[in-house]
Amino acid sequence: MNNSIRFLRQFVLIALLGTIFVAFTMSMNELQTLYNDFGQQYFFEEGLSDTGSRNLVTAILLDYRLFDSLFEAGILLIAVSGVIWISKHDIEEKNARFMIDKYKTPDLFITFSRLVYPLMLTFGFYVIVNGHLSPGGGFQGGTIVATAILILYYIDPNKETNIGLIVTVEKIIYLLIIVVASISLVTRGTFFTNFFDPSHDADTMAIYLVILNVLIGFKVALGLWTIFTAFLKEGR
Amino acid sequence: MNPILTFLVVLIGFYGLSTSDNIIKSVFSVTIIESGVILLFLNLGNFQGGSIPILSEDLVSIVDPLPQALMITTIVIGSTVTALSLMLCIKIFHHYGSVKWKEVLARKDVKS
Amino acid sequence: MLEYFQDLTLIEYTAYFLQFLLIFMAIAIVSHENNGTIVILIASFSLVTASLYVINHAPDVAIAEIAINSAIIPLIYVISISRQREFIVLDKAMDDFIISGNEFTGIGYVLLKRFSDFYHLELNITNDPMLCSLGEGRDQILCEQTNVDLIITKDSETGEYILKGKASSLLMNKLEQMTKDYKDIRVVQFKDRDFGE
Repeated sequence: MNNSIRFLRQFVLIALLGTIFVAFTMSMNELQTLYNDFGQQYFFEEGLSDTGSRNLVTAILLDYRLFDSLFEAGILLIAVSGVIWISKHDIEEKNARFMIDKYKTPDLFITFSRLVYPLMLTFGFYVIVNGHLSPGGGFQGGTIVATAILILYYIDPNKETNIGLIVTVEKIIYLLIIVVASISLVTRGTFFTNFFDPSHDADTMAIYLVILNVLIGFKVALGLWTIFTAFLKEGR
Repeated sequence: MNPILTFLVVLIGFYGLSTSDNIIKSVFSVTIIESGVILLFLNLGNFQGGSIPILSEDLVSIVDPLPQALMITTIVIGSTVTALSLMLCIKIFHHYGSVKWKEVLARKDVKS
Repeated sequence: MLEYFQDLTLIEYTAYFLQFLLIFMAIAIVSHENNGTIVILIASFSLVTASLYVINHAPDVAIAEIAINSAIIPLIYVISISRQREFIVLDKAMDDFIISGNEFTGIGYVLLKRFSDFYHLELNITNDPMLCSLGEGRDQILCEQTNVDLIITKDSETGEYILKGKASSLLMNKLEQMTKDYKDIRVVQFKDRDFGE
């Protein structure tokens, strides 16, 4: 009796998913009526002179739609706070010695990580700073820098980090991002856009993009470092 | 043909989410659904004559850069939601002592 | 339909091949049972989708996807999976219930080993002096806030061993069943708040 109910449930589930699939296939034929390329034409013609960046995706993320990026950075901050709060405990002396904690990485990994760590850090900074000329930007470079810092945990699992200091620095950087984004109220009259006029040439307008990319990159790297530390030290 | 094959990945993720008995497997399935949806959006924005949306000399036409910018945001938010839900999974295990959905839910009903 | 597949360029061949590979990997992830295998499959799943993103003219998204889904997320998954296999015991009795000499003999150890092997958990015993010096009344707080699952103390008057743990945990029932025959072991369960109250 139980087996046949389970079989019936799975059959109904697969039938439902199959119906959705067939509906999607039939709607794919009418896709051409929705398609227009007004946005693509506009970005192609006016993108460089409006924002000063050759990478149009960075131009959208940091100039046309800066509001979305600010809230994305805010969501990172909220998630970090949530992870720290869930894993918190008040007992003093958090790092107890366990008898069978057997973490000892092989020496080959330690030597190799020491070689790779500065290369990864340099590559991460390169991706952050060159966000407006080649694929990259603040978010991508920030995660690469966070991965480079996590290698240090691999070498020495008992590393002491001060989470309070890192979260405070992250909040200060977030306020700095909002301040830099709001300077344009003074010079141009609208919020959250480049503070240089479009009458300057592209290289001058790119200063704003580099500043904003570096700040966002640092913020993302610190946020991911905090999340990983909270996982590693949870309950110990 | 390309969007249809990608939608199949999304549906497989939904099937995995509905019939998983392990708590961590539900989180895996949500990751698959999210990757499939992002691929679907990029497939719909792509056409054959365009090129990468980075300006240089002698470029004829580019692919629409707006969906790509939105998808970068989606990836970052998806990863933070995954981290938060995994922390909750660890706490559930330490409280109830089991990794299966049925036992945890049965235990919760008995207590209340 | 077969002639459709014959006059395609090389890139479109690669795209179709990678998409079929993606469908197979998704089916493999959904139907596997060992969690450790699935983590490696997730990392390679993200690599294949990153190649598909590049074929669809989106290099920014590819960099973001590789750095997040293939370098950071598997690390977090491995940590949380390994936490789910542990059973942490705090030993306050400090006599030969668990250890005599420097070896793991003793009735308590054999009992706990049998119990944790039954559930495929990894036994992890500690007798950290800092945690043991907390008083009797704070045992419940210790169980709630850190990861300790079981506390062993010795009652000085009656001479029996008391095992304390959380009432909401399923493992405590099994432990109580197993220790019914032993006369000098008693199991005490804390009634604690439900998760989320």
